[in-house]
Amino acid sequence: MKISTRGQYGLQLLVDLTEHASESHVTLASVGQRQDISVRYLEQVAVILRRSGFIRSVKGASGGYALARPAEEIMMKDVLQCLEGDLLVAEPLPPGVQENRLRMCLRRMVYDKLDLCIAGVIGKYTLAALAASPNADRDFMYFI
Amino acid sequence: MRISTKGRYSLEALLYLAFLPPNEYASLRQIGESTELSDGYLEQLFIPLRGVDIVRGIRGPRGGYFLGKPPAEISVGDILRAAESSLEPVECLTGAPCPRVDSCQRRLAWKELYLAINNLIDGITLEDLVQSCEAMDREYVI
Repeated sequence: MKISTRGQYGLQLLVDLTEHASESHVTLASVGQRQDISVRYLEQVAVILRRSGFIRSVKGASGGYALARPAEEIMMKDVLQCLEGDLLVAEPLPPGVQENRLRMCLRRMVYDKLDLCIAGVIGKYTLAALAASPNADRDFMYFI
Repeated sequence: MRISTKGRYSLEALLYLAFLPPNEYASLRQIGESTELSDGYLEQLFIPLRGVDIVRGIRGPRGGYFLGKPPAEISVGDILRAAESSLEPVECLTGAPCPRVDSCQRRLAWKELYLAINNLIDGITLEDLVQSCEAMDREYVI
């Protein structure tokens, strides 16, 4: 029951863009430095996030990326769904296929409930809620 | 967020054993007929489950397997934790060092997710599953 690195890094990129929304745009190099993720990997994830309308690219010599919509309107669930394909704990049943009795019982009583539970938690958070508060950031600087 | 096949098949095999009358056991072949799993694969699945006494085996040509505890005392969480290496959705919950751990809101959200998952699977026992299976059977007869 793991979230892939693609899902994690993609979310990390979006949260970083949220935390730096006051700047007109952010380069992937600076995100990579702050978040300790390779720029090459960020580029791959950024392509998916741009195609899906989460971020927009800013062209030019000092180009970069910015959120395409306000951080308050982007849900953690939608981001992960986009990057992971789906968030289901078991492969969905192809139409017309009948499962045996034990599997059907487990699907109903465990897998379907887990899917609802997972969607419930990650459906609560927006990018804005996942971004560090300014105070926390100051504490962090002080810690260094 | 898939549960591994190992986790799902372990649940299936143990749910089969949970239907056995007390003091009875099932051969690998019997378990395999209901779960569509091979003898060798079932034996592999049972290794970690035997380690935590969820399942016990009887050796020999007439041997077999039975639950190590009553079905009401084995939760889905116990089974998945034994079968899967870890249930944490992301590595940063397993204690990998991160300098932002105290202020990271994302980690809090992951932690909430992890706790919600645990809460759910610890609250479902094999006994609950047997009962819902039987309720499901009645549904289909009607």
